[in-house]
Amino acid sequence: MPIIVNLDVVMAQRKISSGELAEKIGISQANLSILKTGKAKAVRFSTLEAICEALACQPGDILEYRAPPKA
Amino acid sequence: MWNARRSLLLSKICVLVFMAALAAALIAGPWLVSWLIGFSANAHQQHTPWFLATLYSGGVFAGILLVQLYRLLHNIGQGGVFTAKNISLLRGISWCCFAGAFICLFSAIYYLPWGAVAVAAAFIGLIVRVVKNVLAQALALKEENDYTI
Repeated sequence: MPIIVNLDVVMAQRKISSGELAEKIGISQANLSILKTGKAKAVRFSTLEAICEALACQPGDILEYRAPPKA
Repeated sequence: MWNARRSLLLSKICVLVFMAALAAALIAGPWLVSWLIGFSANAHQQHTPWFLATLYSGGVFAGILLVQLYRLLHNIGQGGVFTAKNISLLRGISWCCFAGAFICLFSAIYYLPWGAVAVAAAFIGLIVRVVKNVLAQALALKEENDYTI
């Protein structure tokens, strides 16, 4: 998928653990792991809002578009 | 009080009753065929082996179908409704119906009423196939929902 989730990078910059972030935004660690590893198929606005609030960042800091290489 | 668990149990019992009926029909096959021929005033006396062939070849697919139906109900009872395994079981059930229809269609050569059974079996197979397609779409929707964070 050409949408890259840079959540782990922002988390490292803010020095926050997965458990701590999961608790702050109110989702399970398993779901946070799905999001971090890029396995998620969609992100709710409410989740994105909670992440941005917890990490004091913008949606663009977490999500990035990279065009797939042309065959 | 009637609930989903009891409904599932009733379906399982129905499948087991059908399995028992199928086993009884296969065991009593020769007697059943002679009774049917006697019932139709011995008009099909020469077709006895053909009736037996239809009964036993159809019985194989009926047996496979009932086992798959029981496994499907067992999976639903375990809470696994929208799964790839259930879709595969429904596909198998549908193909068993079509196989039965095919056997009955050929059997209509010596006994025309088998044609009606063939149409009914093919129709049921078609309905099961449509249900299988619906379940496949439901599985895709469920997976998307599961991976929406």
